[in-house]
Amino acid sequence: MEPGPNKNGSRSSSYKKNKSPLYSSSLDGLISHGLLNSWRAMIRLFKIKDQRKEEAANANGRAPAKKQSAGELRLHKDISELNLPKTTTIAFPNGKDDLMNFEISIRPDEGYYLGGTFTFTFQISASYPHEPPKVKCKTKVYHPNIDLEGNVCLNILREDWKPVLNINTVIYGLNLLFTQPNDEDPLNHEAAAVLHDNPRLFETNVRRAMAGGYVGNTYFTRCI
Amino acid sequence: MFPSRSKMKVKILNWHAVASWTWDAQDETCGICRMAFDGCCPDCKYPGDDCPLIWGACNHSFHLHCILKWVNSQTSQPHCPMCRREWQFKAWEQRRRGFQLETPGQC
Repeated sequence: MEPGPNKNGSRSSSYKKNKSPLYSSSLDGLISHGLLNSWRAMIRLFKIKDQRKEEAANANGRAPAKKQSAGELRLHKDISELNLPKTTTIAFPNGKDDLMNFEISIRPDEGYYLGGTFTFTFQISASYPHEPPKVKCKTKVYHPNIDLEGNVCLNILREDWKPVLNINTVIYGLNLLFTQPNDEDPLNHEAAAVLHDNPRLFETNVRRAMAGGYVGNTYFTRCI
Repeated sequence: MFPSRSKMKVKILNWHAVASWTWDAQDETCGICRMAFDGCCPDCKYPGDDCPLIWGACNHSFHLHCILKWVNSQTSQPHCPMCRREWQFKAWEQRRRGFQLETPGQC
């Protein structure tokens, strides 16, 4: 049932062999022949598909080739399409084989945090982008939306995460935290209260923390 | 059927049909997995019927497998990952009507 020129060279023989009730009148016959051929082509396509599936299954059984998870694939695209703001750098401390764990450093070029350098760790799960990246701030910072353990309060990292977001949008979100810290929904309530009631004092506190020193009872290491 | 009285005898010896297909989506890639719509989601091997596209009532489209994974992972009412409107699968009839409305006078 091979469509097209067959191996023994006689083309018309296949036409005759396939004579079926579909070949009633001459014109109908032509149309049906065309249809039949395309059906056969489809059937062949399905066969090839099944064959490939089998081959793939066998290959999986024999050599467990290192297959990238869906999350890794997507992350790979995110990384290769990164368009970092000039304040931000990225590093892969575990080398290029581990893209799922990396660090970014932000050096704000305006606002209260101008001059400081703040490092964040990113942990990407295998179910990315259905789960947001886990982001922590490694640098101890006096900030209303980052607590002293490094937990970050950013809407797109929690309730507003959606899988069309990517690493780039998260990085822009983190940058925004430094240019526009907000006193609503704070993690560091003390810092938020100061920002709300006395922005001048807040500015002084941020400077003191970044230079390395105490704000209240908390010691901050230098990050300028 | 032919306008002349003499019948023309045509014998087609060989016929090679080639067809191509593409999804009729607004985007090139799925917003969730970032893979091409004409390709398949990362969990599939073969595009087409094995890994179809699906439209939401908001007109955003995704790989069926990608949006199902997202919708099923949401504890509350799921939202479209693109526009955050409530996610509802678009009925086929609705979709056709939508296309007719979007392209008036194009017949």
